[in-house]
Amino acid sequence: MNVNVRLFAGLHQMVGKREIILDIREGATVRQLRERLGEEYPVTQAFLPTLVCAVGEEYVPGDYVLQEGDMVALIPPVSGG
Amino acid sequence: MMFEITAEPLDPGPLVAAVRRDESGAVALFYGVARNENLGRKVLWLEYDAYPEMAIKKMREVADEVRAKFPVTGVGILHRTGRLEIGETSLLVAVSSGHRKEAFEACHFAVDRIKQIVPVWKKEVFEGGEEWIEGHMPEAGAEGTGTGIAD
Repeated sequence: MNVNVRLFAGLHQMVGKREIILDIREGATVRQLRERLGEEYPVTQAFLPTLVCAVGEEYVPGDYVLQEGDMVALIPPVSGG
Repeated sequence: MMFEITAEPLDPGPLVAAVRRDESGAVALFYGVARNENLGRKVLWLEYDAYPEMAIKKMREVADEVRAKFPVTGVGILHRTGRLEIGETSLLVAVSSGHRKEAFEACHFAVDRIKQIVPVWKKEVFEGGEEWIEGHMPEAGAEGTGTGIAD
């Protein structure tokens, strides 16, 4: 299934896109989504362990199972203020 | 209450007015300001990115936490995005309460929580390079310890 993934900050800059579509298998977790990002965009690999995932504007753990149509964002460590 | 992510310069006046009640005896107002140095480097300017919808949601959560923890009469948060020159205001947090002690403490708590959970990011552009600053990994997710997103 395809999920739309929003990218921010350093990740946005690395990939060069604000939003990407990643093809993951049914029942894939956030952890597997991150691995998929690393395969598709090798430049991101060193940063994958730092990324937290948000679904529906809420932080979710690495074992969260993604659904088709989920509003997904990959969140680098935050540094507002 | 007032919660905004905006590319426009931040104005404290409307924010203070939004958090003040007739029951308020104090309003604490925090400014986060773009500084000209970090880690011994001369910073030229800052750029902020945000996930605006989620940032607003998380600001509201911070305000809910503040209200649960302190006897406040109002909380408001504004965060700027885009390019900020040195001296410009990146963050405004206003907290009102009956008395000054609670206003100061609640405002301090709010700023700390904003830095932990609100999806906003700062890039420093300094002489000879630039770096997205890694602050906190928000809870409820991800393993790992962070490796630095310097380019």
